Amino acid sequence: MCGIAGIMFKNESSNLNTGRALVDMLDGCQHRGPDSTGFALYGPATEGQLRLRFFVGEVAEDAARSIARIADALAAHDAKIVSDETVGSNYRVKVEFSGDLQRFAYAIEHAAKVMSIGSSLEIVKDIGTAHEVDERYDVQTFEGSHGIGHVRLATESDVKPEASHPFWATGFADVAIVHNGQITNYWKMRRRLERRGFEFTTDNDSELVAVYLADKLSQGITLKEALRTSIDDLDGTFSFLVSTRNEIGYAKDRLAAKPMIMYETDDLIAVASEEVSLNRLFPGQALDTKEPPPGTYRTWSR
Amino acid sequence: MVTIDLAQTPVKTANELIRESGDAGEDVEVLNPDARHHIGVGLTAPVDVFVRCSAGYFCAGLTDRANFEIDNNAGWGLGDNMYSGSVVVKGNAGAIAGVAIRGAEIVIHGNMGSRAGQVMKAGTLCCAGNASFMAGYMMYGGRIIILGNSGERVGEDMTGGEIFVAGRVQDLGSDAMFTDITSEEVDEIAEFLDLYEIPLKGNLRKIVNAGKNLRYSTEEKQMRSIPFFTYSGDSEYWNPKVQEDIHIKSQIGRYRIRGYGAARPLPHLADLAFRADLSHAGGDADIVSKVQMRTEIGGINGATPLVLSMPVMIAPMSYGAISRSTKQAVAMASAMSDIAENTGEGGMSDAQRDAAKQLIFQCLGGRLGWNIHDMKRANGLEIYISQGAKPGLGGQLMAKKVTQELADIRGIPAGIDLRSPSRHPDILGADDLVIKIEELREATGYRLPISVKLGAGRVRDDIKIAVKDGFDFVELDGMQGATGAGSSEVIDHVGIPTLAAIMEAEEALAEIGRRQDIELVLMGGLRDGVDAVKALCLGADAAAFGTSVLIAGGCIACMQCHVGTCVTGIATQDPEHEKRYQASVEAQNIHRFLETVRWQIATITHGLGYADTKQLGRDDLVALTPDAAAVTGLPYEPGYRDQSAAQSVQPLVMV
Repeated sequence: MCGIAGIMFKNESSNLNTGRALVDMLDGCQHRGPDSTGFALYGPATEGQLRLRFFVGEVAEDAARSIARIADALAAHDAKIVSDETVGSNYRVKVEFSGDLQRFAYAIEHAAKVMSIGSSLEIVKDIGTAHEVDERYDVQTFEGSHGIGHVRLATESDVKPEASHPFWATGFADVAIVHNGQITNYWKMRRRLERRGFEFTTDNDSELVAVYLADKLSQGITLKEALRTSIDDLDGTFSFLVSTRNEIGYAKDRLAAKPMIMYETDDLIAVASEEVSLNRLFPGQALDTKEPPPGTYRTWSR
Repeated sequence: MVTIDLAQTPVKTANELIRESGDAGEDVEVLNPDARHHIGVGLTAPVDVFVRCSAGYFCAGLTDRANFEIDNNAGWGLGDNMYSGSVVVKGNAGAIAGVAIRGAEIVIHGNMGSRAGQVMKAGTLCCAGNASFMAGYMMYGGRIIILGNSGERVGEDMTGGEIFVAGRVQDLGSDAMFTDITSEEVDEIAEFLDLYEIPLKGNLRKIVNAGKNLRYSTEEKQMRSIPFFTYSGDSEYWNPKVQEDIHIKSQIGRYRIRGYGAARPLPHLADLAFRADLSHAGGDADIVSKVQMRTEIGGINGATPLVLSMPVMIAPMSYGAISRSTKQAVAMASAMSDIAENTGEGGMSDAQRDAAKQLIFQCLGGRLGWNIHDMKRANGLEIYISQGAKPGLGGQLMAKKVTQELADIRGIPAGIDLRSPSRHPDILGADDLVIKIEELREATGYRLPISVKLGAGRVRDDIKIAVKDGFDFVELDGMQGATGAGSSEVIDHVGIPTLAAIMEAEEALAEIGRRQDIELVLMGGLRDGVDAVKALCLGADAAAFGTSVLIAGGCIACMQCHVGTCVTGIATQDPEHEKRYQASVEAQNIHRFLETVRWQIATITHGLGYADTKQLGRDDLVALTPDAAAVTGLPYEPGYRDQSAAQSVQPLVMV
């Protein structure tokens, strides 16, 4: 029950301010979800390094305890801290790491609330509106090639930062999704993935979409192909956006029950739940927008 | 021409200006719309509105007589429920363009999204480009013209109306078929297209309803009816109820339809008792004046509240399920007792409007009888999501009751077994619902309370959505709530009992700390003032009565409400049967019953030691059965049973 938005600048020269664009687009559709707001942002990757983002809370003592636990866990897995800082209720770390990411991620997950791990990806999400979250985490100044975002109206699960979107595909670097809708075969699909050793950190159906896609990607299947199969494998109503280190894509269910609209130029592709978000990027302009047909998917890369 | 710049002016203010300009006969130009929602909603003057770029959801919705021109694209629900007037869109339109229109002309130069013209009744929806899937879904009348290609399942479950497609038709929907097109029809379309300067390319093909699904193929044989009190008997296995059920099904080979609510034993308010000794209560002839019962409902977000002389309302019942005279009598009684009445599905009659002092107007998925003019003369608007008797399903009105008059009000063909849509075209989630509520508020200038009628299903989630989406109050209907027609399997076996429903609602609101942000009206088999007080103790702000009001007006509980030949003249549209119901006499009977409800509420409230019904609380109750204790979390006190019998205090003083 939400609004979603995504943007990719197609080439180096067209790079605009991704953080600013997403804040504006999400502010435009905030009416679709007043509970929480989140962003998946992709910055430049450094070889051999990982960016980790944790939720440690606002209370200083609790945060300090969490950070100490995180430090222990990182050390135990030979991840060397390069830099770290606390922002809002988040703890942000860069580490040098070269081991098995999935095992590392699950182990870290047991020590603290991981929001994202990736060489390029950082997820910023918290309770509040786009502007409130931006104020807390300075999303506006984030520059980068692409990102996706989400405003949430919590229906079945709680209003908590960790239940907010975007969802990181736990165990898979740099994969994030935002989703509007409801996956009705959630438990069936989740058990299928759990039997194969995947772990889930929430009961939110959107996390399933992230893990489902990441699993396909890790088998060497292309994002495009993974999106194609998702339309058959996932049951329910959905419009979702997925992002990886160099791609974004969408999939939309056959009933088209959840809105989605896109605008593409030579320089950028912008996708959102409603046109009002796209017009936020181009005020006063008549945009030649397209509504993706039901049961379709598509990807863009750079 | 008045110019409004939406880069400067919020939509709410802009709509006020647009309506003012309309009243003054001035055309309006809207600059920088930037796809904002609800532009021009609620306009009822014959003026022109120029939207100088893209419009968002529900542009031109809930309007009559105005003409709109949109220079670029339009979002979902374009021209929602328009009565007359026109909309021209130069770009594309999103899903459900022309939803529920009753006579307007909507022309889209580009493509249109899925389910275009859903539940439309009259008028023309024309798309020069391609249409996505299910164009004409559940349409009842009017004309859709698609000059490009049409997606899957064109005319899915259409009842009436015509769809013309010039391009490729991917496939036909259920109960739709191709038929020959006449030269007159082609000429009429050519004339229409000329008017809007759109060239006709290709050969038109015509799609209409195939007529295979408008009536149940077998009629349910009428047998001697078993009245409710026998029907609900929980005796042995092969009791008369079970036997009759099997006999009838062996004849008709399908599920049965009946009236009334769940008729099997469920934990209910009768399984609770008051903790205090009420044996002394009831002696004071003037008790009603000693207890504060006045209750305001619906004003918490700034709308003009309903003001009830006691925390009681009439539950929604449709003109259709019950007769015009009955609706009128109930409305009169509600005014005499100074409480609120509710239209239910199927529109508002003048008689009902005039008779009721306070009237809630209900909006259902089929938009049957829904319109801007009656919205404006209502005292509250209510979005029906479902009802306790059949949560998740649409209403049923058998052909015998779908008379020409009723069909005209609803905008549907007469003489069909009407199965109303179970879903709203434009409410597919909590996010769409936010935008829908805003549309209703915009259309009525934020003056009216907006409520939601929820049949108890997933109460915990639904109630959280209701409060987050900003409803002013919820009418929560439990499984014991009745219906004019429903499948007996569903009535008896689907839903959540009233007692469990209120508990779940209260817990869910406490969980998110939002109890103060919404008001709660409980219904679903509430019988009298004793039940009402128990509902208030459990947390409800008011209680609503449906069935007991009908019984007060002469209903004999034979459960044949669906048949249409009600012997008391209540659940019928047959003038011969309706003659038996004298509205003014029954209004007095219903009023007298409501006054006993008032007396009971006052007496018990006073007996519990309070001077105001708002002081009632959970601590005033105990549970008489383990089931009720488990459901409510109240202490299990079987010892109160004897006292409970004594508590069935009857009024000493009658009005």
